[in-house]
Amino acid sequence: MSDAEALSSGSVRQTSTWRALLPTLIRVYGIILTLVLLLTVVTIGNPAFISQQNIFNMASQWAPAGIMAVGMTFVILTGGFDLSVASAYSLCAVVAAYVGQSHTPSIAFAAAIAVGLLFGLANGILVAVVRINPFITTVGSGFIINGVALVMTQNAAFLVDNDAFGILGAGRWHSVPYSGMLLVTFFIIFGFVLARTIYGEAIYAVGGNYEASRLSGIRVRAVIASAYVLMGGCVGLAGSIAASQLSSAQANLDPGIIFDVLTIVVVGGTSLSGGSGAMWRTAVGLGIIATISNGFVLLDISPYYQSIIKGSIIVAALALDTGLTRLVRAK
Amino acid sequence: MKPVIGQGGGIKTEERQNTRMHRRELKSTVAIRVRNVSKSFPGVQALLGINFELLTGEVHGLVGANGAGKSTFIRVLSGASQPDTGEIEVQGSPLLFEDPRLKRSAGIAAIYQELTIIPEMSVLSNAFLGMVPSRFFFTDKRRMERRFVELSNWMGIHISPHVNAGTLSVANQQMIEILRAVQTDQNVLIMDEPTAPLGPYERAKLYDLIGRLKESGVSIIFISHDLDEVLKLSDRVSVMREGLLVESRRAANWTKDALVQAMLGDVQIVPSMKRNYATAGELLHVTNLTLPGRLSGLSFGVHRGEILGIAGLVGAGRTEVLRCIAGAEPSVQGSMRFAGTNCAWPRTVREAIGRGIVLAPEDRKLQGLVLSRTSLSNLMLADLHAVAIGPIIDRKKTSARGRTLARQLRFNLERLDTEALNLSGGNQQKLVLGKWLNRKPKILLLDEPTRGIDLGAKQEIFQAIRRLSDEGMGVILVSSDLEEVVEHSDRVLVLARGRQIELIDGREATVERILNLIFAVESSVTESGET
Repeated sequence: MSDAEALSSGSVRQTSTWRALLPTLIRVYGIILTLVLLLTVVTIGNPAFISQQNIFNMASQWAPAGIMAVGMTFVILTGGFDLSVASAYSLCAVVAAYVGQSHTPSIAFAAAIAVGLLFGLANGILVAVVRINPFITTVGSGFIINGVALVMTQNAAFLVDNDAFGILGAGRWHSVPYSGMLLVTFFIIFGFVLARTIYGEAIYAVGGNYEASRLSGIRVRAVIASAYVLMGGCVGLAGSIAASQLSSAQANLDPGIIFDVLTIVVVGGTSLSGGSGAMWRTAVGLGIIATISNGFVLLDISPYYQSIIKGSIIVAALALDTGLTRLVRAK
Repeated sequence: MKPVIGQGGGIKTEERQNTRMHRRELKSTVAIRVRNVSKSFPGVQALLGINFELLTGEVHGLVGANGAGKSTFIRVLSGASQPDTGEIEVQGSPLLFEDPRLKRSAGIAAIYQELTIIPEMSVLSNAFLGMVPSRFFFTDKRRMERRFVELSNWMGIHISPHVNAGTLSVANQQMIEILRAVQTDQNVLIMDEPTAPLGPYERAKLYDLIGRLKESGVSIIFISHDLDEVLKLSDRVSVMREGLLVESRRAANWTKDALVQAMLGDVQIVPSMKRNYATAGELLHVTNLTLPGRLSGLSFGVHRGEILGIAGLVGAGRTEVLRCIAGAEPSVQGSMRFAGTNCAWPRTVREAIGRGIVLAPEDRKLQGLVLSRTSLSNLMLADLHAVAIGPIIDRKKTSARGRTLARQLRFNLERLDTEALNLSGGNQQKLVLGKWLNRKPKILLLDEPTRGIDLGAKQEIFQAIRRLSDEGMGVILVSSDLEEVVEHSDRVLVLARGRQIELIDGREATVERILNLIFAVESSVTESGET
């Protein structure tokens, strides 16, 4: 506190403002620098990276993880965590494929989103009302959801033989993928909700200080629960897109996607302790992770080295951010 | 009852007596010498060429407004941060700036303004944090316990070593901090506002303790905003202002007014406002307010435009009264009349806010503010709908409203976009108040509104409160600073052990009278054998 107090004390004389501002600027926008650097390196290595077709393909490919990262940003900002998304994502895809076998695609996707919202609500109630630790809650609910999917499918893939079912995930309008459009729309809408609405302000406040928010008259439990419901909705849509892209789904669709989702949010600079972060940060995080993954393919890097490089970039980005924060806050 | 340290029969008794004797030999030498120390943070020069001497066995008072650099100075002394230039000598040998552990071996212990208690650990573990006595590789719990009992007897405190530290009152947590520093048996003890969370009774104990530490040869740097206390305890007093050490004199050569002038420089202080006794109708009346185990059968009212002070020791139930009225204690019993009509007791904070009853809580950082958000966000937090069009927040309205509030509270407009984390205590308190003024409350409940903040900010806060009460708002004020309660209250409700002792007219209230009332109850309870 004393350092911070000294920093803020109005009466103490100022040194050069330029030197004072630089570290803050780097801390706030440094993550964009990382993205620009990566984009440059990959583009130089293989100019095909910035081709329109490659960009659109990436947008489509990363739509499920990106949309879930939008929901995860809300959950993490409230100071929570959702580890059940990988299981829920598979279950929602399975529901979409199952319903899609006998009904029109829109009913199938609506069913998947409804299932996502339902499990989100269950997580939300357990975390916000029963007040179980979010980590444990969602690990537990993740097991349950995975079990439900396994029982439903008996671990077999559900195939959907209906071209219309593939439109959501694989369809394009003048070569722009619908799924990519959805991704961008989600970022814009929920970025606005977070930055400019009463609800967004409440999300930050609750994550930043639960007790102060409660004493300020904010409906703290409702706000926290709503973040998990929103997460559930995002998972439902992401599952629908994945099922549509593959025209099939199974109980263990992509268990590793949880790491992508969390990494996207955290690399962007949203704090795991809640209350600080932003949607644009998650967008930049998505850009970084997508560029790294796509760059591996385009630069023809051996899969053995891929995880080493990916891990190093993630840790380096976070170390840079933390180091600069410390430099600014408590020299 | 209070054995002198070293006679408690602990294992280290002889050893400790030796160090005490060693100290006596050092008497009248310089314990710490600081030469030309400067330190800057990005954008701020926090310390500027400080020269300072701490003599062995002296209590050296250090005063200054918030942001004067006191905290930075003691952080430098205790090794928590490094100076940019200058040197520090301890007992004649230069201090190397590494970590607090090395500093401890140099003989300096510090009690910081922010408590460093770990709530989930036991009192015992907290008292020996980082210095657990061990035998082979195991912690020597018996030795810890023996030493704890010995020291707490010496300090005159009665705290069970086995409860979690988080369950203690802030005052008792502070006593554990002090015990931790004392138990390391250091030559120099730095205390940054140790009395801020303490009530009069605990303060008296601490003064006594400081006296005894001094006798045994310990040098103490004592920081406080309570100037009477500083003058009473210190041998010498130094004043800091804007990163400079302005002046050092023997305490006998200072007066309170001279200290204030030195602290504020050219700034003038406004004399306290004339009392304005409430004659208007009763705004709030509570009957038989009871919180099981904490409060029993309180009945009192607050008039329009009145400031009702609540006086009592720490643990008397002052905070609980406010929390009950604010709807933060669902298990409360009692009946409430609000604006002339009987109404149900509010069971949630939202209910109370809906009626216009709001609470500015005791702990600014833990309960009052969202530290990671800007000042502006914090000001709007309690009434977001007022600056929004539908669900969308209007930035122009927000900014206009924030500026109006900031001007009312004399809050620096340029700090509106600063994160609350980076503000001084006084500015943070202004935000907590401003947040509620935004809603134009009918009843404002203030819990320790001036803890740890400087004179200037205190004045500004009370001016703002008085202005609002003149407009018809009712205020209930809780403060550990009895003088403050007496000075600003139209009536004073005296509490002891969760019971209402008396309701005194503010014009007849004095600190002495209140203390007599309280101690009459405290001593009768102790005599009858209750704990």
